[in-house]
Amino acid sequence: MADFRTEVFQNEFLSDGATDVHAIVTVTSSGAGTAAASSGGVAEIVIIDTSGSMSGPNIDAAKYAAQVAVDQIADGTWFSVIGGSHVANRAFPYPNAPVAIVQMEPGAREEAKRAISYMRPSGGTAMSTWLRLADAIFAEVPQVAQKHAILLTDGRNESEPRGELSSAIRAVTGHFQCDARGVGSSWEVAELREIATALLGTVDLIRNPADIAADFKALVNESMSKGVADAELRVWAPQGAQVLFVRQVAPTVEDITARRTEVNALTGAYPTGAWGDESRDYHVAIRVPSKPVGSEQLAARVQIAVGGDVLASGLVKARWSDDSSLTARINPEVAHYTGQAELASVIQEGLAAKASGDEATATVKLGRAVQLAAETGNEEATSRLRRVVEIDDEEQGTVRLKRNTDKLDEMALDTASTKTTRVRR
Amino acid sequence: MDHVVTCGACATIAEEDSRFCEHCGTPLGAPAPAAAAATAVAVVVPDEPTAAPVCRACGGTIAADGYCENCGEPAVDERDHWSELPSALVGGVCDRGRRKTRNEDAMALGLSGPTAVLVVCDGVSNVPDSDIASLTAARAARDVLVTGSAGSTVGAWSALLVTAAAAADQAIADAVGDTTDRVEPPSCTFVAAVVDGPTVVAGWLGDSRVYWLPDEGVAHQVSVDDSAANEMIARGVPRAKAEASREGHAITRWLGPDAETVVPGTGTTRTQGPGWVLACSDGLWNYCSEATDVADLLHRTIAQVGNAPDVIAAELVRWANEQGGHDNITAALARVAAPVDTVHTGDTGHAVPVDPASSAR
Repeated sequence: MADFRTEVFQNEFLSDGATDVHAIVTVTSSGAGTAAASSGGVAEIVIIDTSGSMSGPNIDAAKYAAQVAVDQIADGTWFSVIGGSHVANRAFPYPNAPVAIVQMEPGAREEAKRAISYMRPSGGTAMSTWLRLADAIFAEVPQVAQKHAILLTDGRNESEPRGELSSAIRAVTGHFQCDARGVGSSWEVAELREIATALLGTVDLIRNPADIAADFKALVNESMSKGVADAELRVWAPQGAQVLFVRQVAPTVEDITARRTEVNALTGAYPTGAWGDESRDYHVAIRVPSKPVGSEQLAARVQIAVGGDVLASGLVKARWSDDSSLTARINPEVAHYTGQAELASVIQEGLAAKASGDEATATVKLGRAVQLAAETGNEEATSRLRRVVEIDDEEQGTVRLKRNTDKLDEMALDTASTKTTRVRR
Repeated sequence: MDHVVTCGACATIAEEDSRFCEHCGTPLGAPAPAAAAATAVAVVVPDEPTAAPVCRACGGTIAADGYCENCGEPAVDERDHWSELPSALVGGVCDRGRRKTRNEDAMALGLSGPTAVLVVCDGVSNVPDSDIASLTAARAARDVLVTGSAGSTVGAWSALLVTAAAAADQAIADAVGDTTDRVEPPSCTFVAAVVDGPTVVAGWLGDSRVYWLPDEGVAHQVSVDDSAANEMIARGVPRAKAEASREGHAITRWLGPDAETVVPGTGTTRTQGPGWVLACSDGLWNYCSEATDVADLLHRTIAQVGNAPDVIAAELVRWANEQGGHDNITAALARVAAPVDTVHTGDTGHAVPVDPASSAR
C-alpha cells in the first residue's frame, strides 16, 4: 500500500476581523507500486478518431501509435480499441466477438494490432458516442478498480450539438479517467479540455503525427505505473465555515470545488483519480467567522483517503493576532500558486478574446499573462507567450499582438496554460 | 536539567512554543512535571482527561490531532484551564487567557478543617519553565498551609505563611534544577490567603493580590503589591497612571532562584459580616484594580450566575477574557459566612459558620 504524506504551507496569522484562510497542501505518495499489482486490476481503452479528416498521414500515424500502445499494455490488463467518427465502433475485440473487452495476452496483442491495421477513415465526428461506448465497455468489468482511456482526435466535434458532448461527459464522469490528445491544428482545445478536466486526465497538443506513438507509449506507461487506483482529497471545515474553493495547483491548475461529494456535514470529498509515486499541490481557501485576537482555531483538515480510509491529514490553522509583522506576511507558496492560477485564466481569456477579434482585451490579458509568468518564474509559459505576442515590457506586462501567428503556437499556449511550475525553495 | 520538550505519547522532540506534537498531535506539557507530585488534599479537577476529551467551546469531541471535530477549537490543555472546588464555599479558576501562548499562572486551593486556603502564583512571562515554577510553588505552599497552624492565631498563621513561601521557593529549586547557566531563571509571584472564620491572613511576594469583598460595607485590598507601581504611588503618582505605566508592572519581590528574599509580606483583616475573599493574578485586576470596583464586579457576577465559588470564578475569568485576556487569569474565592451568635454543636463549643445564601433556601 502506498504511503501518503501531507505538508501544509500557509501564514496562519490573521489580522483582527479577518476571515479568509489560504493554504497550499502538498500531497506526496510513495511506494504506490504498479497498477498491475493493485487489487482489482486495470482496464485500458484506446480511442482513435477514424473520421474522414484523418485520411493521409494522420490515420497512419494514429494506427501505428495505437499499435505501440497495445504493445505497452501489460499482460492481464483488460483492454479494448475503439474507432470513432460520427458513430463509435469497437475495433477490437472485433464487433462480432461475444465479449467487448478482453485481458491482454500475446495472442490478443497480435490480433488487436491486426484489427487496428484494418481501421479506415470515413464519416464525421461525434465524440459523445465515443465516450458512451467506452463507458459501456468499461461497465463490462465492474470488478476493475482502475479504468483509463486515451482519446485521439484531429478535428472539431462537428457532427453533433455541443451540448451532446457535455451531457455525455457528465454521464461518464467518475466512471473512468481519460487523457485527450489533439493532432494538428483543426481540433478545439476547449472541447478536449472539457473531456480531460472532467475525466481527471490531461489535454495536450501533438504537433507532428510522427510523435503520436511516443506520446501514447508514455501515457500507457504512466497509467500502468499508478498503483493507487482511486484516491480522494477530503476537506473538513468547521461548523459555520465556508469552503471558498479547492483547487489543484500542481502539476496543473484545476478548480475541483464543484466536484465535492459529501462525506458528512463538515467534510467534502473531491475525486483525484489514480496515483503513482508523485506529488500534487492543492490550494484550499476557507472562510471562518472571525474570532478575538489571541484565539486559535483549526480552519481545515485536508486529507487523502483511499477506499474510505484516511491515509494522511494536514492541518490548516487560523490564529488571530494584532502583530502586523505576523499577519501581513504573505506565504510564498500561496502567492506563487495564486499567480499561476491567474496566469492560466488570463492566457485562456486572452486567446479567446483574440479568436473573437477583441484585440484590446486580448492585449491586456496576454500582457498580464507575460507579467505573471515573469513574476512566478514560469519560463516555459514566457517562451510560449513570446510566440504569440511581442513583449515590450515584461515587468509592466506591455505587449503587442503578433501578426500571422502560427495557429499551432496559439493552441500550444492554450493547452499548456494550466501547467504550473513549483515554488523554488 | 534538560529543557528539550518531548511528546509524552510518541517521544518526538517538540518545537519551541508548540502546544501539540508535530508528529502525533498529542497536547504537549500535560501532565506537567509538577502535576505529577502527589498532593495530600483531594483536588477537584473536572477537566481531568479520563474520557474522550470534550471541546470546551461546543461540547464536541476533540480529535487525535488536538482540535474539535465539530468547531475546530483547539483542545484545552489541562494546564491552560482548570477549576478547583475543594468545598462548596471555596473554589477558583486558572486560565491561559487569550493572548498568551502558555499559562504561567497557577493556583492551589485547599482546606484545613473549616479554614480555607487559597494560593495563587503568577510565573514570569516568557521565561522557560516559569509555568512549572508557578504550579510547583502554589501546590507546595498549599500543602504547607493545609497542615494547619497550632492555635489558630494571626501570629501562628503569619508564621506558617512564611514557612509556606519558603517551601514554595524550595519546590521551585527542586523542580527546575540547576539554573546557573540561565540568563533568566524561572520565577513567580506568590499570594496566599488563609480564611479562618472571620479572620483573613494574607502573605505575598509580588503583585498577585488578596481582596476582602464584603457583601455590605467597604471593600479593600488585603495584600500590598511589591511593585514599581506601588513605589510610584508612594511617590505621589496617581494609582491608575502608575499601574498603566510600562514599568509599573515590574515587581520588586518574587519567588525563584534569583529572589533576594522569600519572606512574604503579611497582612490581616478581621471581617465584620459576610463576604468573599478573592485571591487573583494581575490578569484579572488589570481590568479592575480598585477594591470597590472589584466588589461591584463580584456582586454583579453573583447576581448573574449565583454563588457557587467555582462558577463565580469562571465568570470573572470569562469577563477578563472579554476585556482582552492579555495575560493569564486566575481568580480564587473563599466565602466568609455571617457570624452566627453561639450556635453550639455538642461539647466543642465553637460556632459553626452558616452561609447566608444556604440558610436562606
